[in-house]
Amino acid sequence: MRHLIPEFERLRSRFPAGFESSLVLPCVRRIQEDRGYVSDEDIAELAKYLGVPQIQIEEVLSFYTMFRRKPIGRWHLQFCHNVSCSMNGAERILAHVEKKLGIRPGETTPDGRFTLSVAECLGSCGTAPMMMVNEGYHENLTVAKIDELLAGLK
Amino acid sequence: MPEIFLNGQSVQAREDQTVLEVALENGVFVPYFCWHPQLSTAGNCRMCLVEVEGRGLDIACNMPVSAFMKVFTDSDDVKAHRKAILQFITLNHPVDCGICDKAGECTLQDYHYTYNGDASLSADQKVRSTKYYNLSNRILLDNERCILCLRCTRFTHEVSKSMALGVERRGDVSNIRPVEDRPLGEDPYSDNIVDLCPVGALQSRQFLYKSRVWYLKATPSVCPGCERGCTIQVWHRKPEWFLKSLDARQNTAIARITPLENPAVNGPWICNKGRDLSRIFERTRAVEPMLKGRPVPVAEAVDEARRLIGAARHPVALVSNWGSNEELDSFKRHLGEVFVHAHVKTDWQPEEGERIEDDLLIRADKNPNTAKARELFDETQPAYHDGTDLVLVWGEGYDFAKIPPQAKIIFLNSYLAPENGHADVFLAISIQTERAGHYTNFQGVVSRFEPCFAKGKHVLDAEALFKALEAPPRGHT
Amino acid sequence: MPGRQLIMSFPVTATSHTLAEYRARGGYQALEKALKTMRPSDVVKEVTASGLQGRGGAAFSVGRKWQVVVYDDGQPHYLIANADEGEPGTFKDRWILEQNPHALIESMLIASYALNVRNCFVYIRGEFDLPYERLAAAVEEAYAAGYFGERILGTDFSCDIVVYRGAGAYVAGEASGLIASLEGKKSYPRNRPPRLTVKGLYQRPTVVNNVESLSNVAWIIAHGAAAFKEVGTPKSPGTRLFSVSGHVNRPGVYEVELGYPWMKFLEEDCGGIVGGRAIKCVVPGGVSSKVLTGAEIRDLDLSHEALWDVGSTLGSGGMIVIAEGTCMVTLAQILMRFYHHESCGQCTPCRHGTGWMHRIMDRIVAGQGRPEDIERLYYISKFNDGTTICGLGDAAGYAVSGILDKFRDEFEYFIEHKRSRCDGNLECLRSS
Repeated sequence: MRHLIPEFERLRSRFPAGFESSLVLPCVRRIQEDRGYVSDEDIAELAKYLGVPQIQIEEVLSFYTMFRRKPIGRWHLQFCHNVSCSMNGAERILAHVEKKLGIRPGETTPDGRFTLSVAECLGSCGTAPMMMVNEGYHENLTVAKIDELLAGLK
Repeated sequence: MPEIFLNGQSVQAREDQTVLEVALENGVFVPYFCWHPQLSTAGNCRMCLVEVEGRGLDIACNMPVSAFMKVFTDSDDVKAHRKAILQFITLNHPVDCGICDKAGECTLQDYHYTYNGDASLSADQKVRSTKYYNLSNRILLDNERCILCLRCTRFTHEVSKSMALGVERRGDVSNIRPVEDRPLGEDPYSDNIVDLCPVGALQSRQFLYKSRVWYLKATPSVCPGCERGCTIQVWHRKPEWFLKSLDARQNTAIARITPLENPAVNGPWICNKGRDLSRIFERTRAVEPMLKGRPVPVAEAVDEARRLIGAARHPVALVSNWGSNEELDSFKRHLGEVFVHAHVKTDWQPEEGERIEDDLLIRADKNPNTAKARELFDETQPAYHDGTDLVLVWGEGYDFAKIPPQAKIIFLNSYLAPENGHADVFLAISIQTERAGHYTNFQGVVSRFEPCFAKGKHVLDAEALFKALEAPPRGHT
Repeated sequence: MPGRQLIMSFPVTATSHTLAEYRARGGYQALEKALKTMRPSDVVKEVTASGLQGRGGAAFSVGRKWQVVVYDDGQPHYLIANADEGEPGTFKDRWILEQNPHALIESMLIASYALNVRNCFVYIRGEFDLPYERLAAAVEEAYAAGYFGERILGTDFSCDIVVYRGAGAYVAGEASGLIASLEGKKSYPRNRPPRLTVKGLYQRPTVVNNVESLSNVAWIIAHGAAAFKEVGTPKSPGTRLFSVSGHVNRPGVYEVELGYPWMKFLEEDCGGIVGGRAIKCVVPGGVSSKVLTGAEIRDLDLSHEALWDVGSTLGSGGMIVIAEGTCMVTLAQILMRFYHHESCGQCTPCRHGTGWMHRIMDRIVAGQGRPEDIERLYYISKFNDGTTICGLGDAAGYAVSGILDKFRDEFEYFIEHKRSRCDGNLECLRSS
């Protein structure tokens, strides 16, 4: 994580003095963006850099759904399966993807290309059904759209 | 000083108090799990819900007092809510009291019988979790029994400051977990969380499956591990439960040690060394007097000691700073004139790896009664010379190589040691668990300890021994 | 158009969210007016006089919340815009962040001026991509134009902003859970007292307002409290953004002048129900608000008081329209799964209650329901009502008890016959 420190220093200067603890979430997000996940060494180094108890970072990593401590597939597909999305075909779309990729939510394809997850409401109810592919939203999904999208994800 | 009404009764409160504190102070019991007077308010168990006229139900532990408020702690609504909270707490609780050490001193058991008493309303499977989680080499965690009151976690963050515990995940799959790099085992106050835990989730490995608590009695005592002198409870088998069919040692063993709450000295805590006192007290004992290693009857040994004392021209004494106030006073009174040169001996030094000192309880002087000993005797090291003809060593920790070769040695000790056999006169003496007495801690606070066990047949109490040694030997006029 | 538009008052183009176009519509004049002609207390008075109610869920008076902060108490104050938008059915703050971010920013500057805030924050849910990018870009534009930093517009007022991204937790949308998260910790809500306006972020006075609530402030200062009160109803002044989804033909975000007739809104503005079906029921303001049947909403207006009168609420403005033939038991199962997943686990009733309700619903939907399950669900809701640290427990209870109150027979049918009375399929296929 050391190579990210200049960036973290710049980030720190945006916050008021004494807000080191607040830097945990943005720093963890950046570390994960960089490495793909957060390693044990990252936790120890970040705790030392920010001067926060290591247990705080461990708790944060397990509490929030967006953080992970193990790598996943290259493309993370997260399907909302909450109310409005379900009312607009989310289950049907998800079943299609499960069949197509041969995996169920929580699993990764053997070639490491796709990891499939379900998610609760992502704030996209009017353009349901939808999914996230890594950091991006893909809305108003149809089976055809998904097939085209997945084909383009190497 | 606001006046509030508890169940119709007027009571005086202080402005900074919560309703829970006022209630407890006035003998109105409101049940709670997560609240503790020495920890921050968590307000998560919701057991202390009370009714306030005009405001409905809310938790009492976080409720500031306001003048003339009317609080009801036992209304039908409060009772119904308590039952429901207990239904929720026991929803996923394994109820394995049959194999849980906490049975008999478990807040959840007590509250269930007092406030609920009903079977679970659930027809669903309980959430399962880890049952023998190795929190440290001293403490086992059972996550199924845990009610997530977070007392243990708050203790490590607020009191011992080891920051060793936290919560992983969320919802009903949350688990208490230790930080990964530094085990809870490095926290010398870790075992206080076992006392704090209101259920059987945290168990001391030392005590695991040793005994049901209702067979034990707790005798007040004082920890001799350092000059803080925390007051403790030594738990041992009640006399009426002595089992004749077992090895007698089982009836006289220390089952466990817990703190004895003491606002003047240690509050509700002790350090782990105080829990491990059987390491000290249950070492192999010296059981009988000896003359140069030859066992003799008590009277003969005492007589020989008197003779040596009477004949000495330049006697020196090394006085134990593990002696009780009574024993030290006795030495001064009865042998003080003979042993003009009586020096305080430091029986115990800090051991390898032991924390020396901190801001909480642990003090660098690992002896219980240095304060009193120094009050009465010389703090300096003894100065021997060619004329030194008698050295009386009382207690452990003295390097016998320092004793001039021509001097006779009278040695008083409780434990088996090679030096016992070298002494001209060896007398076996009792330890603190075998008698009553007091220690004076470094702040001048005097604390009492009571006897738990009987001493051996040929073991002497030092207090009486010093008086006996004052008298001239038999055969003298 | 469902009444007058205050926030969505311009045609959306590829550039209408930029600073240049915002200024062209009159943007940042309110800020100038506030900084140069009003005292901070005047701003608070104006916002209070406008009657502006919170648009995140509770509809508490924004001005009354602000009034708790003592301007000159010698300690730092913080203002946080709650952009965590996680209430299912709700996506209207997202519209503001994507299409009109400067309305939020200008409003936050005015609010910071009023509350003596030197550092303000937007807490935005971690999953949002475009809303974050648009907001971050708008913040940079504002800094470049001198609207943030030292001595803004040549006055003594200085202010900085940080956009803080969440990491995936619905409970971080609760104000004290949000603050815990902004402090870099797990999102555990806190007991009150103390109120957050007394001890909030790092134990300092903190005002947490919803994005939409704040975004109205610039308009109110520009046009005055009286003008704001002329819009909407006396008890619900102004407009509200509704995110409409579910079985309507034209889902999306609509700004509705409060008091506008509900059925007219659904049938005309939202294009009516998919497949021409009847309305079975509507979730008016996010799933934590109590569901209302088609019959119940027939003659209602969209206003706070109209919904309070029938035991529901406009809540987060997340309107989910449910067509006839939709299985309410399956819907309830999804909701219980949601609350169970999102419960932080801190307090007893919610931690165990949400899991219990989820397991009961799973069993019912799997055909293993028991007759006492309905009473159990009511029991769990009752003892999560007002007993928890935050509103998540209560909301889970309202969601299920609200559906049970109106559709108990569907549950009884499912339990007895081990299957849905409807076809069990939630999806309503569009007619074209």
